[in-house]
Amino acid sequence: MSATQVAGRIAGIEAGAPIRQSSLWQDAWRRYLRNRGALAAGSVFLLIVVGCVVTPIVSPHDPNRIHFTDAYQGPSWAHPFGTDQFGRDLFTRAALGGRISIGIGFGATLAILLIGVVYGAVSGFVGGKLDNALMRFLDALYGLPYLPFAILALAIVGTVTFWTMVVALSVASWFITARVVRAQIITLKENDYVRAAKAVGVRWYMILGRHLLPNTLGVLVITIFLELPGVILGEAFLSFLGLGINPPDASWGSMAQDGRDAYRAHPHIIVIPSLAIATLVLCANFIADGLRDALDPRTKET
Amino acid sequence: MAPLLAVKDLRTHFFTRAGVVRAVDGVDLAVEKGKTLGIVGESGCGKSVTALSIMRLLPEPPARIVSGSIHFDERELTTLSQRQLEDIRGRQIAMVFQDPMTALNPTLTIGTQLVEVLQRHLGLDKGAARRRAAELLEEVGIPRARERLDDYPHRFSGGMRQRVVIAIAVACEPRLLIADEPTTALDVTVQAQVLDLLDDLQREHRMAMILITHNMGVVAESADDVAVMYAGQIVEQAPAGELFARPEHPYTEALLAALPDLDDPRARGRRLAAIPGRPPDLLDPPQACRFAARCPYAGCADSCPVEPPILRELRPGHWVRSAHPASERQPVPA
Repeated sequence: MSATQVAGRIAGIEAGAPIRQSSLWQDAWRRYLRNRGALAAGSVFLLIVVGCVVTPIVSPHDPNRIHFTDAYQGPSWAHPFGTDQFGRDLFTRAALGGRISIGIGFGATLAILLIGVVYGAVSGFVGGKLDNALMRFLDALYGLPYLPFAILALAIVGTVTFWTMVVALSVASWFITARVVRAQIITLKENDYVRAAKAVGVRWYMILGRHLLPNTLGVLVITIFLELPGVILGEAFLSFLGLGINPPDASWGSMAQDGRDAYRAHPHIIVIPSLAIATLVLCANFIADGLRDALDPRTKET
Repeated sequence: MAPLLAVKDLRTHFFTRAGVVRAVDGVDLAVEKGKTLGIVGESGCGKSVTALSIMRLLPEPPARIVSGSIHFDERELTTLSQRQLEDIRGRQIAMVFQDPMTALNPTLTIGTQLVEVLQRHLGLDKGAARRRAAELLEEVGIPRARERLDDYPHRFSGGMRQRVVIAIAVACEPRLLIADEPTTALDVTVQAQVLDLLDDLQREHRMAMILITHNMGVVAESADDVAVMYAGQIVEQAPAGELFARPEHPYTEALLAALPDLDDPRARGRRLAAIPGRPPDLLDPPQACRFAARCPYAGCADSCPVEPPILRELRPGHWVRSAHPASERQPVPA
């Protein structure tokens, strides 16, 4: 083997081939694909999401139609997940519940991100007295337990809809995100290129929006999948307590609650939504882990 | 004719937990239109703080300009709001930083970073700004400028990056360019090219320039006037030729003596000259002459440790802050 071939092998490219330009995101994507656990988790996650979206559309069963004659059936070809106490098809209902659970999960996560990014970015960027005041306020809020806070928020609003649920779950859980973003902004704004941008008169909002925030994107993507499990579990917990979405709509949490009365005789009604929640949360955690490894440039490829 | 930039008795102090650091303590400077002022001195003598004070880019707190004035083109920079300063920075005064590896945002293409400045100050539309950006890159000597606009900084070498940084700095034709050690982070071969580029641009755009460096060779090559800084003060200022031909301050003499001389056959095998001691702690600088502790001419009989020397004009345009300038010394009996 000639020297150039060896050099080509070492660099991971064929000798003479044009050097491919690869951005940070392309590199990250490649590293993510190599992580088998994360890849499997990502696929399962995607499968669940697509399944939840598609199933109610193609299903022959009306998820809200009551058939007392079919109540409490076990899994069968007609009803893969069986039926509940009203004879409704649990497969279709699980997908419908998944739509709401995942929807609320992402909705609340995005709300958390929005509040956290704005709060943290302003605090870190302005610095000084304002930063101090905002952070001490956050310290005070930190003591608030988030589930009682969510319960209180739902009690005040009264009727539970998709959006009230999103608000209840995000209102007391954006504190960590705000801190993470603040810490990032503080580190980033010490960079020379920020000073250089200031030295040519770039306005502060452009510096924040164009030079600082895009550099926090990696952290934010990870944060999405770190926050998601907590929010989905929180929603399930609230629904299980009967504070969830109003029937006949259902989420995985309220479906599990439906199954509670008959869990000895017909355990599948409570097991199926619980498994769905557990799978989704596990996948989100694996994805977050994989993303962290993929987006951290210090992760060296072997 | 009034100078473009006149700094008078500038004092920039840092208020830290350990106490007040007098990083810049009474600096006077003047830069004429189209001329280059070189500021030399060792690390930590206040060169960069002076530059950043003029740009008003120091974080306040901990830094604060406690007194003095910075007069630029009939405006007083020390009293302007940050908003007004944003309009001056980049448009009237621009700055080139030491390390080109960190002065460009790694997540934005160089085109974006150039266009940003052009749009900010000149109000060009996107297309015009891009055309101008390509011209600028060409002007600073980057081949295939139009294609390279969409490249990220990591695709450029150190010298090329510094050219990009310079292109951004001169994009809006500022009247004063402050170059803070523009060649320190570069290879020696590239250093000369970057200095030549700065010289060319300065001539073409008729900019004034402040060139900050610790390299005497760089100053000798490019500067019209030279100010030597020591411990937050200017100890000697003169036209470049005059300063190198007839240095007056003992510190300047020592700096020039420390340069290795390759042409001198006797220099072979001899140790390089160094200045004994260390610069004073700027938390608690000496009351009087700051160089006294390292000065070979300061004896116990004179007033150096008691009375601070003032900056005085020995010859027209040649200012010195010392009780023992070379031309006033008694010949030492051998």
